[in-house]
Amino acid sequence: MTIVSDVSAGSAAGAGSLSLPRDPVARLAALFDAGSMELLDSPEGSGVAAAAGLVEGAGAVAFASDPRVQGGASGSEGCAVIVSAYDEAVARGVPVIGLWHSGGARIAEGVASLHGVGTVFAAMTAASGVVPQISVVLGPAAGGAAYGPALTDIVILSRQGRIFVTGPDVVRSVTGEDVDMARLGGPEPHSRRSGVVHLVADTDTEAVGYARSVAALLSSQGTVSAESVASRDLSGILPDSARRAYDVHTVISRLLDSPGIELHPKWAPNIVTTLGRLAGRTVGVIANNPMRLGGCLDTASAEKAARFVRFCDAFGVPLVVVVDTPGYLPGVGQEWDGVVRRGAKLLHAFAEAVVPRVTLVTRKAYGGAYIAMNSRSLGATRVFAWPDAEVAVMGAVAAVRILHKRRLAKVPAAELHDAEAALAAEHEATVGGLGRAVEIGVVDEIVSPAGTAAAIAEAIASAPAKRGAHANIPL
Amino acid sequence: MAEVRAEMVANVWRVVVAEGDHVEDGDTLVILESMKMEIPVLAEQSGTVSKLHVAEGDVVQEDDLIAVID
Repeated sequence: MTIVSDVSAGSAAGAGSLSLPRDPVARLAALFDAGSMELLDSPEGSGVAAAAGLVEGAGAVAFASDPRVQGGASGSEGCAVIVSAYDEAVARGVPVIGLWHSGGARIAEGVASLHGVGTVFAAMTAASGVVPQISVVLGPAAGGAAYGPALTDIVILSRQGRIFVTGPDVVRSVTGEDVDMARLGGPEPHSRRSGVVHLVADTDTEAVGYARSVAALLSSQGTVSAESVASRDLSGILPDSARRAYDVHTVISRLLDSPGIELHPKWAPNIVTTLGRLAGRTVGVIANNPMRLGGCLDTASAEKAARFVRFCDAFGVPLVVVVDTPGYLPGVGQEWDGVVRRGAKLLHAFAEAVVPRVTLVTRKAYGGAYIAMNSRSLGATRVFAWPDAEVAVMGAVAAVRILHKRRLAKVPAAELHDAEAALAAEHEATVGGLGRAVEIGVVDEIVSPAGTAAAIAEAIASAPAKRGAHANIPL
Repeated sequence: MAEVRAEMVANVWRVVVAEGDHVEDGDTLVILESMKMEIPVLAEQSGTVSKLHVAEGDVVQEDDLIAVID
């Protein structure tokens, strides 16, 4: 074991008790299982330390920038250390974890440092989809140090972490905007607005803990034991009124073995993406949340889900897709924001995915959003629906208002409601309804909430274990 | 201070809080109606509702101000 040097001095220099020491070796030691860390070669003054060891009993490689040397700025030597760490991780087939605290490229080194940073980006891209890449941002990560984490699969931001391309001084001199580091690139903007960060931690220790948990979920995925969820009952979650919102987190927490790790919890919260375990096996859950935007899909949620699907597919993690969506969010804002282009990413991601992917329609799946949420047509392994679920182009009443517009226009206002209801019933009997969906095979089976967890577990267990052969571009 | 704005075009179906009320992060402020769904608008920070800009029956456009929390 490598002895952690001068931890107390590091703590004193840090920004309070919530921080890990500034010494990068001490930071790496906090990441690995006790006694498992071995330092990898790193030249004196490079500003980067690297190590290999165990995380939750599975192999991993990690590196950390040294904020005590030129503010953690990256020079060509430090970048070479990171590239070597990547080579090592790929050779071992283990996750690579970066602990970032860096002002960007070393200005004094000129273009050589930019070249070095570029070689890191190239190494990250070459390793994308090959080994899991996790970034933990503990302090400012500016310029090149911002794009480093952004190229990886999972970005974790500690309370004092800041990510931005150009700092407050440059922003002020160029645009005149007066903004501090936290507002520019702290936890608030990156967790709610930009989507850059998957997880925000209150302390450095918690941030490193998240990295360990994510690495363990990917390294030790386990196998399904369907019997273990036989008594897991999802009854009584949906509200009585089909129009009423509810929080889908309840469904997810009841479904999973233990609380999972929700990625991007505050960004595009109308879709929930959670990594967790079901019946002992790592799965990725994607769920519409009716509590936010009524569970509509929109530009940001489609992109968030698409990236999560490709991430899971790249590392062989089966998907569980929980569907309750009224459709795509309408409006000029959405169209101009590229809902067609960005929504297409979700279609592409699901259609391309080869991991077992099981869909559960809990309440409703309408229109384009029905297709996008891992429908049979996109290649779902299994599609389940709860007994009262609706699968349709749109709600039956809305459909007959369009189909029978002229006929309904002649109906007196007092009789309109009854006329619509009669036409809607007729419409459901002929084209709509869950029975029809089962008949034509777009829903495989109607399951009760009580039998849902076991049905999903069995569907995953009986599907061939596959892994997508593609990189994970940060969509 | 945090401004809570409408995320979509909708009718204001229920106003749940009043000016001066204390709310916690995640509390429902108003319930909108759109896409045939009741859509709660939630506080994104704890504080006092200092301004309420909508009433039941109003139509809000995307990005319209709903409330201010101090």
